[in-house]
Amino acid sequence: MTKFAEKLNSIYRTIRGVRRDRESFELLFSRFRRVLDDNNKALEIITDMGDTLGGDYLFDIQYVRRSYADLHAAVGEAISDFDLLTRRRYPRLGDRFMDIDEGIRHVIDETVIAAKDLVVFYDQVTDGMVQAIGGKNAGLAEIKKALKLNVPDAFAVTTRAFDAFMSHNRIYQKIQLPEDGAPIPGASLHEAHELILHGEMPPDLHHAVDKAVSRIRSRCKGPCALAVRSSAGEEDGEFSFAGQFETVLNVPLDTAAVEKAYRTVLASLYSEKASIYQKRLGYDLRDMKMAVGCMVMVDAATSGVLYSIDQQRDRDMLIINATWGLGTSVVEGQTDADLYVVNKGGTGEIVETRTGMKDSMVIGSEQGGIATVPTPQELRMRSSLDPGQVAELARLAIAIEKHFHRPQDIEWAFDRQGRAFILQARPLRPPGEDTGTGMAEPRVADARVLVKNSGLAVQNGAAAGRVFILKNINDLDSIPRGAILVAHHDSSQFVRVMTDVSAIVTDTGTPTSHMAALCREFRIPTVVNAGNATQVLAHDQEITVQVGNEGATIYQGLVRQLVEHARNNSVRMDELAEFRKKRYLLRYIAPLNLVDPLRDEFTPQACKTMHDILRFIHEKSVAELIETAQSGVKASAVRLDLTVPAGITIIDVGGGLDNSSNLDHITAGQVSSLPLRAVISGMTFPGVWHSDAVPLNVNDFMSSMLRVPDIMSDNGGRVESNMAVISREYANVSLKFGYHFIILDCFCSENARNNHIYFRFMGGATDMTKRSRRLQLIARILGEYGFNIKTKGDLIIARLANIGKNEAENILDQIGRLISYTRQLDAIMKDDKSLERYARNFLQGIYEY
Amino acid sequence: MSNHRIMIIDDEKIVGDMAKLSLEQEGYGVETFLNAEPALKRLQEEKFDVVVTDYKMKGIDGMEVLKTVKDLYPATQVIMITAFANLDAAIEALRRDVHDFFPKPVKIKELKASIKRALEKQH
Repeated sequence: MTKFAEKLNSIYRTIRGVRRDRESFELLFSRFRRVLDDNNKALEIITDMGDTLGGDYLFDIQYVRRSYADLHAAVGEAISDFDLLTRRRYPRLGDRFMDIDEGIRHVIDETVIAAKDLVVFYDQVTDGMVQAIGGKNAGLAEIKKALKLNVPDAFAVTTRAFDAFMSHNRIYQKIQLPEDGAPIPGASLHEAHELILHGEMPPDLHHAVDKAVSRIRSRCKGPCALAVRSSAGEEDGEFSFAGQFETVLNVPLDTAAVEKAYRTVLASLYSEKASIYQKRLGYDLRDMKMAVGCMVMVDAATSGVLYSIDQQRDRDMLIINATWGLGTSVVEGQTDADLYVVNKGGTGEIVETRTGMKDSMVIGSEQGGIATVPTPQELRMRSSLDPGQVAELARLAIAIEKHFHRPQDIEWAFDRQGRAFILQARPLRPPGEDTGTGMAEPRVADARVLVKNSGLAVQNGAAAGRVFILKNINDLDSIPRGAILVAHHDSSQFVRVMTDVSAIVTDTGTPTSHMAALCREFRIPTVVNAGNATQVLAHDQEITVQVGNEGATIYQGLVRQLVEHARNNSVRMDELAEFRKKRYLLRYIAPLNLVDPLRDEFTPQACKTMHDILRFIHEKSVAELIETAQSGVKASAVRLDLTVPAGITIIDVGGGLDNSSNLDHITAGQVSSLPLRAVISGMTFPGVWHSDAVPLNVNDFMSSMLRVPDIMSDNGGRVESNMAVISREYANVSLKFGYHFIILDCFCSENARNNHIYFRFMGGATDMTKRSRRLQLIARILGEYGFNIKTKGDLIIARLANIGKNEAENILDQIGRLISYTRQLDAIMKDDKSLERYARNFLQGIYEY
Repeated sequence: MSNHRIMIIDDEKIVGDMAKLSLEQEGYGVETFLNAEPALKRLQEEKFDVVVTDYKMKGIDGMEVLKTVKDLYPATQVIMITAFANLDAAIEALRRDVHDFFPKPVKIKELKASIKRALEKQH
């Protein structure tokens, strides 16, 4: 048992048996304030860490350790004070804290939680197995379990099996790996590859695979084969290794065949293709452990890939690529696949359909393996999905996206009975973010345009170089550095030259192929389906390619402004494996999953991050206080009637109200708490509270849907979340309006040294850009009053201390106005210019929208 | 495009990686080293305009790097970074003509600005 747990238990032993009504409300209140202080402190550390690990700072592991030690202490304090406050009503919270802590320590120390089993079936997968079974397996198991979607029967061969195999065959001893993560010579790669391919299965692994295969066989109705594929990559799947490792399809249900396929997949870790990819992203092959998934093949009538948002053109749309038979040709970009664009925000209508010329299709062959065969004539130009199927895929995609809170790249199939299956789902990597730097696109009036807005953008950006027209894939190795690769088809083989070429243009291909995924990861400006680029462009000709949302525009010669502009926007810290490894710990710390206290998941068990724990503590502390107050211990909870529908319940702990002892409702005039009076006067100032509903657009709607499922249930009726705990000189106000939360904690007395204002604002229903715009506005305004401000994502924390009584009252009045005024402002402000305007207006006392 | 060359010495890979990525963005040629020995050897082969070094390292430490660089290549500017604010080290570094001194975490923008000033000082 940890020291922390011991300490807790000893505290409980002393307080157990103390009956609530004997505790004075003042004691409760002082504990409440202590919890708040702990909470605030912890949240500031989170904000600081978020900032420092965000890519703007050079930091080292000492910083990470130090900050996390501080955070650990602060959250630990918060929990122990919270347990005192609630008399340990939520014992599971401490457990969750320890679980999350364990996860974080593994990230900091770079240790891996060892897998217990060699083989795990998807239906036995539990939380915390991600590292053991790989992100791909874990994601699918979760889709099956949590969303109850069709995922074929499957088992994972764990990283423990990988270790067992490698050590049984003494692979690391037999091959010479260079020191210090230096590139591995081709000969060693080849040797490792061969050793694995012909390695021997350790007896217990053989036994486990054999058992799993029999089990699949017993559960399989009819003929059955497996798809065996890697599930390596990072835990969060942000870097996907798309197409870099071998996949063996249509493997007969026979232990020897499955083991052979397993070794083939493992061996591909040491393929040249994969090693280039790893080198580029800073992985060390020695650290890589490969889990493998073995999944029953769907007898697919139609398969393909979908992106749950169309990031190049319109984020309200999702795009589906489909073809007859197996989907390999779509992910490899070899087929002219069908395209469907669906408006997922509104009615779900199909806004664009393009039927490709599907000359060939891939099917499972009877002897095992796959074969490419000519598509029957009548199917070639026929749409491979009917509108009902498109709608079904859209529904599935939205459900998966909502569950994982991120846009998704999904492989799917319809079997011959028309059932939809999910074969893979991983986060969709965002394309280049050209916005946000404030730099305008340079003008290129004089350059001669060779191709205008052609093809489908895969990765935005610009590059110049000499054209290399690739006629034969074997010529890949002769591409000179800095060339622009122009080819008819796209291919994941191109990864071999991705560190050398400066842009890629292909005549055919889809933005959902493996190559496309890789180009995004490598941030190579890329356009596919550009028609006749191989004909329009001449070998060795110097050109500049600019890829934007409208496709590619190609200029003759070098257009320096374009290239330099692109370079300034191109480099991103998150390309670095080391950086991502460290930053990954924020995943356990910063995100807020617990948003709505009225939902069932608002439990200690649902806390996934430190921030969740703090949010839970805060919410339940306030609830505890209300409950105690309502049970009439001493103070009582009363409703505050204002001229605006803010729905605030007040708990007075001493001198905060006049003559209110027997009332359920009071008015602003009866509030004698100095700080609350000032805030109310601001909130109700004429013109600052806008009561017209502001419509959300589809994007906003989706973004709020993604975070909280039931937007309609949110109305002013929830008084319990808006409350103020007050005394004559103190007020702690927590407000929830729609999807944003405000915490205001202030002390306002004659003694300036005791006075402080703490203001926290977080969340919103609109998309991130708009939410952070509102935060910038708040920061801008509070900055005028001398607040010390920290912002991170959609959270702002502002503090001010040591201020005279009159000044504090004046500022609190302004904050009251700001609270009312900004309620819907995120949906109103369309751009950064309007931000400046609204901020100026506010400071001048103009409150119109 | 500038032809300036920057050397980063830090025993933590992440520091060198991040610095390299951000400084290459500015058009500098950047080389990183995990310890000082090979770094000093490299300085014999090629001129670097700025050396950014960690203070506390196994083997040859940052102060030693500063001393050596200033003895042998006085035109090369040295920027020192430390894991924590260390006043004594800062004073000694200043005596030895360090160009700048940062406690970690270092804001990359500030490091870039400091390098720019260091390069201006050279000319």
